[in-house]
Amino acid sequence: MATNNSLPCALTLDIPFPNARLASVALRALQVDKELSSSVTRHFATVSSPGSEQDSVVRVEYKAATNRMLRVAVNSFLDSVALVIEVMQELDVDVLDSQTPSTKG
Amino acid sequence: MEDRRPIACLWSDTQALVAVARCWSGEGGTRYLALGCEGSANKLGIGIIAHDALTGTPTVLSNIRHTFVSPPGTGFLPKDTAHHHRSFFVRVAHEALSAADITPSEIDCICYTRGPGMGGPLTSVAIAARTLALLWGKELVGVNHCVGHIEMGRAITGAQDPVVLYVSGGNTQVIAYAEQRYRIFGEALDIAVGNCLDRFARALEISNDPAPGYNIEQLAKKGGGVLVDLPYAVKGMDCSFSGILTRAEELAGQMRAGEKGPDGEVLTPEDLCFSLQETVFAMLVEITERAMAHVGSNQVLIVGGVGCNERLQEMMGAMAAERGGSVYATDERFCIDNGIMIAHAGLLAYETGLRTPLEESTCTQRFRTDEVFVKWRK
Repeated sequence: MATNNSLPCALTLDIPFPNARLASVALRALQVDKELSSSVTRHFATVSSPGSEQDSVVRVEYKAATNRMLRVAVNSFLDSVALVIEVMQELDVDVLDSQTPSTKG
Repeated sequence: MEDRRPIACLWSDTQALVAVARCWSGEGGTRYLALGCEGSANKLGIGIIAHDALTGTPTVLSNIRHTFVSPPGTGFLPKDTAHHHRSFFVRVAHEALSAADITPSEIDCICYTRGPGMGGPLTSVAIAARTLALLWGKELVGVNHCVGHIEMGRAITGAQDPVVLYVSGGNTQVIAYAEQRYRIFGEALDIAVGNCLDRFARALEISNDPAPGYNIEQLAKKGGGVLVDLPYAVKGMDCSFSGILTRAEELAGQMRAGEKGPDGEVLTPEDLCFSLQETVFAMLVEITERAMAHVGSNQVLIVGGVGCNERLQEMMGAMAAERGGSVYATDERFCIDNGIMIAHAGLLAYETGLRTPLEESTCTQRFRTDEVFVKWRK
């Protein structure tokens, strides 16, 4: 079992979302996949941002054996975060409801 | 299709009256709807399918695809392919929804390709599918890519119980259905036939647009003056393509260096493409025929991207006709990777009660066709 000493490189990301619902959706969608390497671990949680009662911030704690592995893992993760956010922005229920019905092509 | 049944007898029960009234209004004949997302290789596909609740008849509501094409002489790498899928997912999803003219509330489930395929691309699509499922409050269904091809082929062609030849860039399998499994009777031992063709295209720097195999096919049609001798590697029920690829790449190198072929023939790209196709397709016909003899079938269903190839269909058709049977194939909308096949196969599973819990909605690069319990068939 890896101890904290064997994964000395750490990075915590706080990703704010407009509300707790979206933070929860992001967390649940992103935490499913395991890290490919046993030298990288990540832990998810939702936390509240200062001055807010909602848990609308997704906090991800990364630990890795080397800085390079940390960088690779976090960069890849951020690509996935960007995708989740774009899907929320463009395809959430209220977004689609508000769009004018298009004619069949 | 609307469900309108005439009142044939008196109904005393109020609920029955209401049910009949709903039938008249078209509400009773409901349908199941699924959205399917595919991204195991370089094609991102999203499709929406409807199944009639009574008959199960499938209707394609939309089938949108965007292909990641790499420059000539190159193949598509996992990281770039995943990037492509992430970049195009929202666009393709929008198009699929508007072409189908439906809203998320009408959808019953979100289906996605669990595997097999390339890890990064598969996962990028799965993440988007999970997000949709959570935003829209729908359940997920993970689908085996090969089973998607088979079920779509069956639905489109109406083939009853054929031997299936599944041939694509990533897979080459001869499959027959028995007792709720799609059983693999024969397969490529090393690389898929489509992979052999795609990599040969790189050796000749043939364009990958719309697909390298398509461009090989067009060149092959202009060839045929010379049939170059290439190693023919059928091993029982299976076959092998890496040896023939090595030899073909060698000949391509010789041709570019201005050398003649082993028998003194002048080598041209058209004749090399022709010779490669004739040889690998003959191998596929042989292992398919072997399986047909084994199971006593004379019907062949060809699915997968290589199934678009007209020469393969022709050669398979000749063999099947000799056995008193026929070949079924679909057009490029369905034989090339697409989202509608994932929606269709996923909805079939959903209708038997299958669900993929969110925590289990992962992807896997290796996912054997016979791992799937085909509960929706007898």
